[in-house]
Amino acid sequence: MILLPILLQDLPTNLMPELTEDITEEDTRVYEFCFLYPCTLSQKEESEFLKEIEKIIEETGAKQVSKDLWGKRGLAYRIKGHDEGNYVVYHYEMKPRAIIDIDTPLRITPNVLRHIVVKPPKGYEVTNFSEGFVQWLKDRENAVDEKKKEKEEKLAKRVAEKAKRQVKRVAAKKEEEVAADKPKTDKKQISDELDKLISDDDLDL
Amino acid sequence: MAKKPQRRSDPRGKQCPFCDKQVAYIDYKDYPAIKPFIDYFGNIMKRYYTGVCLRHQKMLKNSTERARFMGMMAYRK
Repeated sequence: MILLPILLQDLPTNLMPELTEDITEEDTRVYEFCFLYPCTLSQKEESEFLKEIEKIIEETGAKQVSKDLWGKRGLAYRIKGHDEGNYVVYHYEMKPRAIIDIDTPLRITPNVLRHIVVKPPKGYEVTNFSEGFVQWLKDRENAVDEKKKEKEEKLAKRVAEKAKRQVKRVAAKKEEEVAADKPKTDKKQISDELDKLISDDDLDL
Repeated sequence: MAKKPQRRSDPRGKQCPFCDKQVAYIDYKDYPAIKPFIDYFGNIMKRYYTGVCLRHQKMLKNSTERARFMGMMAYRK
């Protein structure tokens, strides 16, 4: 087997997949950009960071359709030492070929923890999911609270029932004692009466 | 021997929850929509148990992987 020497020049310079569809230069599409950046940035740094990103994207002649700041949100796992991060979602109308030029600069820019470029499907409506998420979190908390409350109520009911039962038991015991005491006196009376009867001299046995 | 009564409903008889709402695209940013199809360990649940159709299962996989990459969803608990 002969190994052919591969020259670096022979390798493709762009490792991004080539677009195979027939796209003219004038075609534009809507693309979705999502960025994750640390929430430890100050307000000034944050605005600078957002400007930098927008500048990189808009250099290719892209038009901004929408911008959505999500705010602070907890991460599912630690990313570069951060447990919390901020999200921004952009929608840009731009030429499909320009994506290739944008991707590398975005990867290099500081403070970008994660970024993703998605082509939304046809008929996609821009929706704000962050509000829904916050609402969902609240609902879940409320559900948990309600469950807790129900549990507590059940416990309180059980405790009250137990206390009632105990009171009843004590009362029943007392009654029993009283009932047990009564026959004793009766027995004495009976025995006394019997003695009287027996000791009666009139009796003819 | 008498047959035991089935405790759970038959998983095969389930309807696709996405088809019922006529979902065309599952967004990776929509965490509450994806959450019910992820189990405790962070894995995507089998179609057999959730009743999702193949078309929507593929969409779900796509959106879940995107959400995981962006740190919205855990890879593994």
